[in-house]
Amino acid sequence: MWPDRLDATWIALIGLAIATILVPSLVSRAPVANAVVLGLAAIKGRQIVLDYLDLRAAPALWRGLVSAWVLIVVLFAWLAQAVVALI
Amino acid sequence: MSATDCEEQQTGWGILEELPGDPMIWVLIFSEFAAFGLFLGAFAIAHAIHPAMFASGQAMLDSHLAGINTIVLVTSGWVAARGARAARASERRAARRWLLGAMALGGVFIAVKLAEYAGEIARGVGLETSPFFTLYFLLTGFHLLHVGLGIVILAVVCRRANAVSVETGTAFWHMVDLVWIVMFPIIYLVR
Repeated sequence: MWPDRLDATWIALIGLAIATILVPSLVSRAPVANAVVLGLAAIKGRQIVLDYLDLRAAPALWRGLVSAWVLIVVLFAWLAQAVVALI
Repeated sequence: MSATDCEEQQTGWGILEELPGDPMIWVLIFSEFAAFGLFLGAFAIAHAIHPAMFASGQAMLDSHLAGINTIVLVTSGWVAARGARAARASERRAARRWLLGAMALGGVFIAVKLAEYAGEIARGVGLETSPFFTLYFLLTGFHLLHVGLGIVILAVVCRRANAVSVETGTAFWHMVDLVWIVMFPIIYLVR
């Protein structure tokens, strides 16, 4: 029997959380590791917005607003480090 | 005046009513997003300005314990979402059981975080050790307070366990979960 969407999301979140923990020891280059862990955070955040907060069926405005918060914070953190690496 | 107009006047939350739970909780959730967003932005800027200080601070943190707490919190989010689903199906007993499970996992998160703090304090780290630790303790402490508040809110909605109450409580709980998901890599892992 296949798990329903909520159960599948939980399983995916556990897998992504474990991957996030492992990234720093598997990826030595900091800019790449940063991009991967922040990218994984964005994916996990999107899953929580859609299936835990249950905004999948909500109007696009709300879904977009909460997803945008995740994306903006993650992108800002990545950009701050990327700019320093370039200087 | 039509029945719909009358209903709209009585509730008066407009488009916020399209969100799950009581619209008031969403006002709180959006204000929390703003506050945590600013805190995390400040942390990222300070990290960019003082990379060496932040690297030495991060090296003294236990990212494995924080990783375990990520798993604990996403699991509690799943349990809480199951509770909301049970409440929507008018299965109040089941909803209460799921909510109690979410609260218990919230308690585990607090216990692990306090153990992490105890280890850091034992290593001689404090609020005034460096700007990194000031921001670290303020950010994670503020989040920990929200976990505690989330448990209290879940306990309150657990009594009635109807769909709107449970959706209201779990919406706050998922906000706490979402903030941690973003906070964990920014504080512990970004180098």
